[in-house]
Amino acid sequence: MELRKLSAATAILASGALVLSACTPGDDTGGDNGDTNGDNGAANGDADPGDAEGQEFTVEPEDGGKADLGDDFETAEDEISVSLGPQPFNSYNGLTPSNYNVYNSTIVDRLFDGFSYVGTDLEIYTNEEFGSYEVISEDPFTVEYTINDEVEWSDGTPVTVADYVLDWGTSRYIGEGMFDGISPNFGTYVPDGPQAESYDSKTFTVEYPDGAYADWELMVQYAHPSHIVAQETGIEQEELVDAILEGDEDMIEDIAETWNTLWETDPGTLPDEDLIPSSGPYILSDWQDGEYVTLEANENYWGTPPGVSTLVFQFVDNAAHVQALQNGDLNAIVPTETVDTRTELENLVEQGQHAMHVGDKATWEHLDIQYGEGSPFAETPELAEAFALCVPRDQILENLIHPVNPDAELQNAREVLSFQPNYDEIVAETYDGQYDTADVEAAAEIIEEHGAEGTEILIGHNGQERRHDTVELIQASCGEAGFEIEDGGDVDIDIAAGEWDVALFAWAGSGQIASGLNIYGWDRENDEPRPQNWTNYNNDDVSDAFETIATSDDEDEIQEQIIALEQAMWEDLHGIPLYVHPGITAWDSSIANVRPTPAQSQLVWNVEQWQRVAE
Amino acid sequence: MLKYLLKRLGSTVLILFGATLLSFVIMINTGDPLADLREMQSDNVEYLMQERIERMGLDQPWYIRYWDWLSGILGCFGGSCDFGTTMTGAQVTPVIMAAAEQSLRLVFVATIAAIVIGVLTGIVTAMRQYSLLDYLVTFFIFLFWSLPVFWAAVLAKEWLAIRYNDWMMEPHFTWTNILVLATILAIFVPMVLGGNAKRRLITGGIMFAFVCAVLPWMNAVNFMTHPRLGPVIILIGSLMLAAGFTALIAGIRNRRVLYSGLTVVALGMVAYYATWNLLQDPPGGWLFLGAMFVLTIAICVVIGRSMGGHARGQATAVSVLTGALMSGMILLDHFMYHWPGLLSAKPRPVSTIGSHTPTLDENFWVTALDQMTQLWLPSVLMALLSLATYTRYTRSSMLEVQKQDFVRTARAKGVTERTVILKHAFRNAMIPLVTIVAFDFAALISGSIVVEQVFGWNAMGNVFITGMQTNDPAPVMAFILVTGSVAVLFNLLADILYAVLDPRIRV
Repeated sequence: MELRKLSAATAILASGALVLSACTPGDDTGGDNGDTNGDNGAANGDADPGDAEGQEFTVEPEDGGKADLGDDFETAEDEISVSLGPQPFNSYNGLTPSNYNVYNSTIVDRLFDGFSYVGTDLEIYTNEEFGSYEVISEDPFTVEYTINDEVEWSDGTPVTVADYVLDWGTSRYIGEGMFDGISPNFGTYVPDGPQAESYDSKTFTVEYPDGAYADWELMVQYAHPSHIVAQETGIEQEELVDAILEGDEDMIEDIAETWNTLWETDPGTLPDEDLIPSSGPYILSDWQDGEYVTLEANENYWGTPPGVSTLVFQFVDNAAHVQALQNGDLNAIVPTETVDTRTELENLVEQGQHAMHVGDKATWEHLDIQYGEGSPFAETPELAEAFALCVPRDQILENLIHPVNPDAELQNAREVLSFQPNYDEIVAETYDGQYDTADVEAAAEIIEEHGAEGTEILIGHNGQERRHDTVELIQASCGEAGFEIEDGGDVDIDIAAGEWDVALFAWAGSGQIASGLNIYGWDRENDEPRPQNWTNYNNDDVSDAFETIATSDDEDEIQEQIIALEQAMWEDLHGIPLYVHPGITAWDSSIANVRPTPAQSQLVWNVEQWQRVAE
Repeated sequence: MLKYLLKRLGSTVLILFGATLLSFVIMINTGDPLADLREMQSDNVEYLMQERIERMGLDQPWYIRYWDWLSGILGCFGGSCDFGTTMTGAQVTPVIMAAAEQSLRLVFVATIAAIVIGVLTGIVTAMRQYSLLDYLVTFFIFLFWSLPVFWAAVLAKEWLAIRYNDWMMEPHFTWTNILVLATILAIFVPMVLGGNAKRRLITGGIMFAFVCAVLPWMNAVNFMTHPRLGPVIILIGSLMLAAGFTALIAGIRNRRVLYSGLTVVALGMVAYYATWNLLQDPPGGWLFLGAMFVLTIAICVVIGRSMGGHARGQATAVSVLTGALMSGMILLDHFMYHWPGLLSAKPRPVSTIGSHTPTLDENFWVTALDQMTQLWLPSVLMALLSLATYTRYTRSSMLEVQKQDFVRTARAKGVTERTVILKHAFRNAMIPLVTIVAFDFAALISGSIVVEQVFGWNAMGNVFITGMQTNDPAPVMAFILVTGSVAVLFNLLADILYAVLDPRIRV
């Protein structure tokens, strides 16, 4: 699960800045969790979150996945400019800690194809042109992956298990002097690595000896070109595969050194073009640091050709997006989510040249209650209910979110988002609306009962305007009930250190199912809170549920456990979910197949399908 | 003088040293460079933190970290600057070089435009103190000055980019446009030129007729899409320049001076035809053009000195001025020739973002035109915003000087008004202005943060802001060092200029 940045610094960057962290390679796409595997694109009765007025399609999509554009789809000599915000491109190698972030991924995802992707409904879809995978054994849990025969790098080398062995190596041999990777998970859960007949097989198996792992579908995604790494290390590809699988430390150190440094160049200078082949629809062609990156269609692409020959990713402040769209400098934008932007765009759309979409993002705002030492809730946990009763959730939604997204609903769960298909079912069993509207009198009663009139509550947040406004609404309502609410947005407090009584922030979903364990779980072996459990929340039922989820691949069981843990967390008032963040996107309506998505892969998740059509 | 210079340079280095030391210590003691890692949800956070602590030397005392940084900078004296590395391990030197170049491009044009227009407006308003023109200019200047940048940028983008581009789809002046523009100029130009009522009426009438003739002509020849000066206009313009400068500097009856001016025009026309093909694709770009310009000036000097006889000083001035402005016209003609090329590559010529168009792959002229159209909006904005200072300072300084005894004396002994204003008053009024220019240039380089953000440039301001937000000392220090150096250097230049401008100062 990715975390929405809490520091004041990010607030300046852009209100929509999602942060630079996550757990598994390639998991930058996707939303919070929910049912991530299984029946792709199950009919859920809700409208596709990517539908917008004025939208054009060459082929209408059938579900949340990419539409099949047909065999006659060809690359047009054309150029499309898009900007997601000012966050710059870092590197071809987006899988090192300093380069791994949502915005770098939006670009490198165009260069590497993988086994699956996340659709607009946050379901995981198989990339059938690339290959396929299936569970071949439940005990030990084993998955067989097959890469299609024609899949190759843009320099003609086939994509094989060798590339995935390297990918596994960066996770298995992570650490000082070794790979500068981003997560040890692949190496830990799959201790033996991908197994295949030979180093250049197209089929390989991955075995989880400790049983199923909930996020196994996100474990094996895309891989880097191992033949380039081998060549630059001065060894054969086969030697590289053997060294990594056999754990030859000396050689692994050399390989890691190459992998860590090969693609690191001065900002604005791309590595030599021979070193940066692509397995996806586009190749990197030009980079102006802090301004733009251009991608050219990969001429040797084995799949459906990309829609246009040139893509330009510009790094432009979101506040400048609307005028740039109007002037044609950008063709697809993600402007700041404000009422003003909405109005401007509505005027623009009326003139008939543009389309816009207002919807949800896979990021949700919530209040976390501190039960650790020094907090009034530690001494009198009953006050948490009084607080929950006096928070005017409906008013917050109505005043702060509805002006931008009139269709937004209250978010009443933690592990599933309000626009996901199984949300209604889960919420029906876990929450009955008691905290929708502020009940000041009931809150006052509880406060009086405990003689807690005038209790000071510090609400910590990163000082964004919307959060100040939220605190102000809470102040008015809870002040009446008898609390003294203090706005912590102007105080320099360390949110991760838990120096607050209530924290107001957002989590950004990543598509992982098991990541909630770190936030709500208690590490019972060492008897300490897990890394991101800043409220010192400790409930055996919740920890049990998360631990079961983490090792399950059964959809029904996962849903059952989510219901159990949501019930427990409402019961305990771990925190109060508020709303899902609104998102605005707009584009030149002559471009077909643009489909906004709440996932972090953002507007460009299917950019290779975009193409201008005559109106 | 040399001793003074060395003394000043020495103190400059000391000032920079103190400034960097102070800001370095403040920088590394505010904020947490590990902030992003602390909130990261990953099993290897401990390792990542340790690695960053070692790479950035966070466990070292401040003086060791400062020395590490300083020793890289001291390498500049040995010819290899090292501004250190960022938090992610990228070299700062190429980043800051690229950013400084962008900033200079962004600021240079704006500053020059602001100085020239501001000083001229200042002189004119001082000469016409308390006139309607004076009040009007004051009103607009303060209006611009008080505009918030981000809002002015939105207006500029709307009117100077989006609407202009819309209009450029089918550029055509309607009769309403023409009459409105003609009326405005017919009122405004006489205000500037002054004179009695009859003279004002005549200038106004001429202006009105001129606009009413020129704009329909521009419509007729599609000037907005296919502009050209052409040899005829260049020839007529150059002849007028040669005659005009002669009249101004030496008097039209000074044949030797006039002939040297005319020789320059003749040679210029020959050069215009001779170099046309060569200049279609100038080898070496701007450097080559610069070299050509220097050569032109050198030839003009030779012509002036050899043909001028006893008036060779005046002849040289006339031929150099004529030659320089004629080169400018030829350059403009070349740019105009390639304007349709830009329009076909970029149908909406003025963009609202970026320092250049990403995928433009055209010849030298079109690329340069593209950069100019991208520069246009931010430059206009920055020039308008700093115009006020120059105008007001020039105006008050001029007014003050004009009341002084030596100006009255000059008038009393019958010196012409033009000489009084330009030679006696203006030169002295310039002295306080020099300080402002020096300060403003440094301020513009560091103060363009908002403009950069709004127009999507990646210049110095961006480097600074990003560094501040991530608590990354190297880029911030590079910013402080570069802008600090520019500030102290320009102050030094100002002091030297004082000595040149003000005869009372001896060093």
